[in-house]
Amino acid sequence: MTTAPYGAPAQPGTPARARLPLRRPEHGRWFAGVATGLAAHLDLPVALVRLVLVALAPVAGVGIALYVFWWLAVPVGDPAAAAAAARPSALQRLARRQPLRADGRRVPWAELALGALLVLAAGVLVAMRLGASLDAAWALPVLVVLVGVALAWSQLDAVQRGRQDGRRISVLRLIGGGLLAAAGVLLVAGQAVGQGVEPALLVQSAVAALAVLLGVGLVMAPWWVRLARELGDERAARAREAERADIAAHLHDSVLQTLALIRARSDEPAEVARMARAQERELREWLYDDRHEPGTSLVAALRAVVAEVEDSRSGPEGDPVAVDVVVVGDRVPEPDTLALLQATREALVNAVVHGRPPVSLYLEVGPQAVEVFVRDRGGGFDLDDVGPDRFGVRESIMGRVRRRGGTARVTSSPERGTEVHLCMPVGGGGSGHAADEDEEREA
Amino acid sequence: MSEPVDVVLVDDHHMFRAGVKASLDARVRVVGEAATVDEAVQVVHDLAPPVVLLDVHLPGGDGGGGAEVVRRCVDVSGTRFLALSVSDAAEDVVAVIRVGARGYVTKAIDAKALSDAVLRVAGGDAVFSPRLAGFVLDAFGAAAGDVATGDDELDRLSAREREVMRLIARGYTYREVAGELFISVKTVETHVSAVLRKLQLSNRNELTRWAAARRLL
Repeated sequence: MTTAPYGAPAQPGTPARARLPLRRPEHGRWFAGVATGLAAHLDLPVALVRLVLVALAPVAGVGIALYVFWWLAVPVGDPAAAAAAARPSALQRLARRQPLRADGRRVPWAELALGALLVLAAGVLVAMRLGASLDAAWALPVLVVLVGVALAWSQLDAVQRGRQDGRRISVLRLIGGGLLAAAGVLLVAGQAVGQGVEPALLVQSAVAALAVLLGVGLVMAPWWVRLARELGDERAARAREAERADIAAHLHDSVLQTLALIRARSDEPAEVARMARAQERELREWLYDDRHEPGTSLVAALRAVVAEVEDSRSGPEGDPVAVDVVVVGDRVPEPDTLALLQATREALVNAVVHGRPPVSLYLEVGPQAVEVFVRDRGGGFDLDDVGPDRFGVRESIMGRVRRRGGTARVTSSPERGTEVHLCMPVGGGGSGHAADEDEEREA
Repeated sequence: MSEPVDVVLVDDHHMFRAGVKASLDARVRVVGEAATVDEAVQVVHDLAPPVVLLDVHLPGGDGGGGAEVVRRCVDVSGTRFLALSVSDAAEDVVAVIRVGARGYVTKAIDAKALSDAVLRVAGGDAVFSPRLAGFVLDAFGAAAGDVATGDDELDRLSAREREVMRLIARGYTYREVAGELFISVKTVETHVSAVLRKLQLSNRNELTRWAAARRLL
């Protein structure tokens, strides 16, 4: 047997630690983990606890009774983890920690117990053969009861661990175990009375027992309901914990690393500003945005485009430029809006690279059309001065949108900067093509 | 040069308060600071400043943050609140506007724009950031073309108000909005104040539903 990690008493040098909660750890256990859990809770060597329990066993079965009681009453779990979870969340460290796991070999105690039982049964049979008079009539019912109880109890751990897959099996085991135990009890009763059980009496007593059970159940119902509700609350709390852990992991993975990067490159202001901006954007997304499934949100796609432009492009003087994004409404992306997004990207790149900050981006999703405005405060330019051979504005922004039946307009003036207005009809808006032709004639 | 406008600065981060104080220009003077809801209520009652720069998230009090400060200071006449927050969350913004703040700007705002905003609030006007204008358009369903026909309708924006909001959302300053629509800056301010009033008084179902739908987690 490997050494139980919880059984070791605190090292003299370590500061006094709070008592661990009583749990039955899954590793380092011999049978059900009661002794290991107790040892961890009491901060005693596990061997001592086991010795005491074994020593108490012959004393009117106190040791066994205590063991079974704790087995039923103490939940399964890692005492150290339970202690960590019990701390107020304000004090908890947010980041995940690597769990300390001592990998102990599991001794197949269940199989050994079955083997011992079989050997015992064989011994009894041999003894009977040799003429020893054993009251075998008692043995069978008792055995049936024991098997039933074992069957019913064996699923307790599984239910406690909240395993979904084994739930139906657990219920079947419980019912089967209950039936076996009931049959065994009836047999024992028959033995005790003397000569079996009369059928009429059996039915009568079964009905009486059922009535008593029903009555008790009715009385206990409120407690049972409360217990179920508390269980539900606990599940909800666990879900919140999972969310928290998610965020903590994210903070650890991205924010800390960005901070480290920023410190390492503190002599490059442009790079630092860019990293800080990227991190801010990501953090905002985590804190304030609803997180969408990929491919379901036009706004999410737009934000991704903005992020890409902010990260990869710099202003005229090589300084990073932040884009002010305002969105109204949202919809599922489709090929037309994808083209609109690509045109928006080109317009953004133009605004960032050739214009002057602040760069504003406004997206409005209406029932008939999606509109985009990209604006910068640069010196502006005259569209007519841009040669037809230049692909930038004419083709990649305006052409892209117009081919899909949308409209594109660029207004530019030295004092007001440049604004690109893109409009893409969606959802069966039939006026798109007419508007397109008008625009074409204008241009 | 006229007298500077007195402001009280309410934010629970000392570093941020110091930064704002250093960046505000000569037209604005910080006369008091507070870091919690209770401190803020006390300071505002003591000094009754014309403008309070108020963080949306504040510790203390009944946990109501900036909105609670505004609610507990309604008896101080002549004090106007300008919300200042790092948060993008719609419900944060709407909560503090609904209880009576005269505007909302993000902490990313540059120093000159912040001083301008303080002066504007001190003058009785509303201050809308592009983002707040976007919230308003979203909340009033204006993108779907749902506009009011009468002036006294509280639950919808008028066509003109919608136009003004859209221009602000596109990053236009009040002056640029006025130039674009061929109206005076004063008229733009009137429209913005009307929108603010609608945001505060409207019982529009969508407004509540919209805020609820955007709740995080």
